Amino acid sequence: MSASAVFVLDLKGKVLICRNYKGDVDMSEIDHFFSLLMLQEEEGLVCPVMSHGNVHFLWIKHSNLYLVATTNKNSNASLVYAFLYKLVEVFTEYFKELEEESIQDNFVVVYELLDELMDFGFPQTTDSKILQEYITQKGNKLEVAKTKVPTTVTNAVSWRSEGIKYKKNEVFIDVIESINVLVCVCVCLQVNANGSVMSSDIVGSIKLKTMLSGMPELRLGLNDRMLFALTGRDKGKSVAMEDVKFHQCVRLSRFESDRTISFIPPDGESELMSYRINTHVKPLIWIESVIEKFSHSRVEIMVKAKGQFKKQSVANNVEIHVPVPSDADSPKFKTSTGHAKYVPEKNLVVWSIKSFPGGKELLMRAHFGLPSVENHELEGRPPITVRFEIPYFTVSGIQVRYMKIIEKSGYQALPWVRYITQSGDYQLRTNS
Amino acid sequence: MPYFGSEETVKELKRALSNPNVHADRLRYKNYISKVIRYMTQGLDVSALFMDMVKASATVDIAQKKLVYLYMCTYASDKPDLALLAINTLRKDCADPNPMVRGLALRNMCNFRMPGMTEYIEQPIVAGLRDKASYVRRVAVLGCAKMHSLQPNTDIGRAKYSVYLNYYTLRDPSLCVLNCFRLNTGLMSDFVFSCVFSFRMKDLDSWAQSEVLTFLLRYRPRSDDQLFDILSLLDSFLQSAHAHVTVATLRLFLQLASAHPAVQADALLRTSAPLLATCGAASRELRFAGLCHVQQVMRSQPGLFGTHYKRFFCGYSEPTYIKFRKMEILVELVNDENVSLVLEELRSYCTDVSPELAQAAIAAIGRIARTYSEKCLDILTGLLALKQDHITSAVIQTFRDLVWFCPQSTAAVCQTVEACVDSPQDSEGKQALLWLLGEHGDQISSAPYVMEGYIDGLKTELSSAVKMELLTASVKMFLCRPAETQDMLGRLLHYCIEEESDVCVRDRALLCYRLLQRGVEETRKVVTGPKSDPSMSVLTGRQEEPISQWTATFNTLGPLSGRDLCPQTAVISAADQPSSSAEKELLPDDTDEEISLSLGSPLSHETFEKMWLDLEILHRQTLGSPRPRTAPDTLQAALQLVKIQTLAFTPGDTVPWKAYIYTRSTGTLILAELLQGDQQAPGSDESLVVSVKQQPVNQHAIRGFVSILKSVLQTLNVDSS
Repeated sequence: MSASAVFVLDLKGKVLICRNYKGDVDMSEIDHFFSLLMLQEEEGLVCPVMSHGNVHFLWIKHSNLYLVATTNKNSNASLVYAFLYKLVEVFTEYFKELEEESIQDNFVVVYELLDELMDFGFPQTTDSKILQEYITQKGNKLEVAKTKVPTTVTNAVSWRSEGIKYKKNEVFIDVIESINVLVCVCVCLQVNANGSVMSSDIVGSIKLKTMLSGMPELRLGLNDRMLFALTGRDKGKSVAMEDVKFHQCVRLSRFESDRTISFIPPDGESELMSYRINTHVKPLIWIESVIEKFSHSRVEIMVKAKGQFKKQSVANNVEIHVPVPSDADSPKFKTSTGHAKYVPEKNLVVWSIKSFPGGKELLMRAHFGLPSVENHELEGRPPITVRFEIPYFTVSGIQVRYMKIIEKSGYQALPWVRYITQSGDYQLRTNS
Repeated sequence: MPYFGSEETVKELKRALSNPNVHADRLRYKNYISKVIRYMTQGLDVSALFMDMVKASATVDIAQKKLVYLYMCTYASDKPDLALLAINTLRKDCADPNPMVRGLALRNMCNFRMPGMTEYIEQPIVAGLRDKASYVRRVAVLGCAKMHSLQPNTDIGRAKYSVYLNYYTLRDPSLCVLNCFRLNTGLMSDFVFSCVFSFRMKDLDSWAQSEVLTFLLRYRPRSDDQLFDILSLLDSFLQSAHAHVTVATLRLFLQLASAHPAVQADALLRTSAPLLATCGAASRELRFAGLCHVQQVMRSQPGLFGTHYKRFFCGYSEPTYIKFRKMEILVELVNDENVSLVLEELRSYCTDVSPELAQAAIAAIGRIARTYSEKCLDILTGLLALKQDHITSAVIQTFRDLVWFCPQSTAAVCQTVEACVDSPQDSEGKQALLWLLGEHGDQISSAPYVMEGYIDGLKTELSSAVKMELLTASVKMFLCRPAETQDMLGRLLHYCIEEESDVCVRDRALLCYRLLQRGVEETRKVVTGPKSDPSMSVLTGRQEEPISQWTATFNTLGPLSGRDLCPQTAVISAADQPSSSAEKELLPDDTDEEISLSLGSPLSHETFEKMWLDLEILHRQTLGSPRPRTAPDTLQAALQLVKIQTLAFTPGDTVPWKAYIYTRSTGTLILAELLQGDQQAPGSDESLVVSVKQQPVNQHAIRGFVSILKSVLQTLNVDSS
């Protein structure tokens, strides 16, 4: 029981495409959607669920489109949102970019997809890889209907087709950890005058790119603390994962009983598992900033960045975004490494450093002029955000110990492992 | 373009579509068809082209077929007579060798949504249910559901049985069975339950898992053992990778285990991590839904998320609706240890650019102030120094509420108000300030002078609510400090009675005037009431609600559309009852007549024989259908599926053929004999005769039993012919 109908609207609220699944909600109800949204926006109380009479609109926004599901039942909201995001995902896989133009250019395919993705309000086949087997994008080419429904639609193993062949059998494993940190650099806090870590966690994911023939059976070994405890060895170099989530292909019962991760992988790229580690992480890149604002004349910014990770490691593509007042002008920069750029449309200084070795301390100074007439509008104080990527390194210390690949035909296959640590939501507040 | 000269456009398209040259060039033809669909999407009425479009459906190109079908579905209800013509084409497609085409045609035929359709559609659906491609079967099962919503009293029930039997004999792959779940009937819940066991839920996709879990909400386990079996089977889904599955499982646990608080508490504890993870999901809407669910859980278990309060700190770029929810949660989570950090965090929101957010943050601090008044008052006083209009106004309003709820802070508040130099500019703020001045004028020394300022500026005041508040406050003030107030009160009343155009204000002024005429003591009796609400004075912690209070709305739209944003929450909760509207739409009308059969403990042959001889025949009926020509074990299995146990039957083709069956229903035991006479013998009927004996007597149960038996036999006959 999720959606009665699905609409795609442009920014002005005009319906670009719609599909009525159940017929129990009048299609003209959508006319109320946009006026309701406008009303809420004016009051500053936008909400992803809106109601008109007994019709409820659940909507999301993607680039210049609104995707709206209507229902008159008290349906499962998270399922509807998940479905709408799935729509976005599938459309994006088909059209590269999902926006007004791509919908208009491909409306035939969009209709076809909407037809297959949901029936009578129930989500059906939503895996874009499987859909691509029988809905192709060659809109202008005539083709005689295939006589075969892809087996995957009805397969026991719904995520992998049979009869896949590769010349060279390989698996690429990417272990990616993103760090979410919120640092408060406020002096008012008694805890630490220089700044304190308000919250931090690590969100890790293991991604696979499988290029294996047949129906291989894979087993992945990690230095999981629970596993080590089970098997009785404790080397200390293990990691306690929380909140572990797996791709549907992993046999959960086996994981539950003996923590083995065994599965038949989907072909191509997929996310095998994700986990969260809720420990106190030392921020890998520490920022100290002094922003001095002399009203009516200038702003002086000094930013010190320190790499708090191993000397052998190098952080790549580091970008430090420092907010500046919206009325600043005539920027001047001085940096010890890398270069700084003023992005006026976002009111930011972006200091980018190609490679940032561990243990180093770098400095950037910026100088802006301020107009003599003061801006009366209130301005928010956005945080400093940092982006980076450290290859060959994981903060949590997680490691792939082995990857066993077993297939009936008995071919040899090579697993390749890569580790990357990157910034997730990495914010440093600059409250005075 | 489509709105202007639309008739011309349609005519042009009609010409093109009937042009044989266009027909010859298939690519060109298809382009015209997509053009029609494009206009249809843009809202142009192209229904005049119906006949030409029906012709276009005869093609090998599946994409073109889809477009034409889409067109037909859109306009079928406008042109029922023409749509009937299209049916033939569709029925032909239902017999196409390509399963894709069969499924497509069947699906769209069911989408026509016109009442007269059912008779044409029923046969293809039944055929589809027995199709060898599971893709078609899947479509057909959903087709049954669609037909039900269209015409609830059609006899699709028969087809339903066929689905189940199909499953039983063919062991359909998951997708087909799954759609059976969606078709769901009350009668079959035992069967569905056994399916969950035999099927590993894990093999279904996340959508289907969610559906099955929602469906299981209606199942009432027979015993505690069975309950725990179900729960342990579904245990791993509490930690599913998909938020919607996790919450659906949690809801199921909470509802099924309503008699086991320990199980509920355990389930809540274990879902707390995934719920928190949802609160940090990448998509804002899911995050919002997660927060709403957390809020619901906290109604019963306020302490569950206590240690994770930092997760509810707002990110800079989050939309306001998320920030509002997070603040509401933070207020609930405050305890002695985290209070200073939470207040610090809330304080930083008070200076946010968005005035709504800032005001909400101030109100949140005000709520915390009911328990931790000192710290909060410091912060609030500090905020007044910022001299921002919207902040001042919000702080004053918070003060008003605070004084009402916890009178011990009155002195501190009065001091602050006195020291506050600038006054609020909006009407809510003014009203709050005036109320404070009137109510606690004796503690604020400058009160009469502030009020005088308002009275002098009365002519420029626009809001009548402020004027009325001013009248009441002045009268109150007059009662405690008559010397300073008398003069200005006179001016105020004079102005409001003589010059005010607003009737409400004038009436209020007259009321005050007459009241004062009655004497000071009388007025005091009427005007001064309690200065705070004594029942609210001790607010040490919120009452923990029982879990059952909110499980009914958990994982639905209810908690998401907040009280303010959605005035019709009543509608939601009415539509929400898990077993009401959603279920009824699919259930046939005769549900109340249906009785539930059960197997119970097996009967031995001897007992059966003894009872059969002891009891009298209560009911005898010809069933109108011959003995099904299926294998005996199929018959036995089919009967068992509807909870009828077969005790014995005569083998193969012996004549007369007999079978003895029994079942239990609501406290009675039903015994029955099926008899088929000699077919060749003249005068004997070909159809089966059933004789029923029962102990104790319950005619209603017999009727139900016979109707179930009948439908099973009919279905088996359809299947085997």
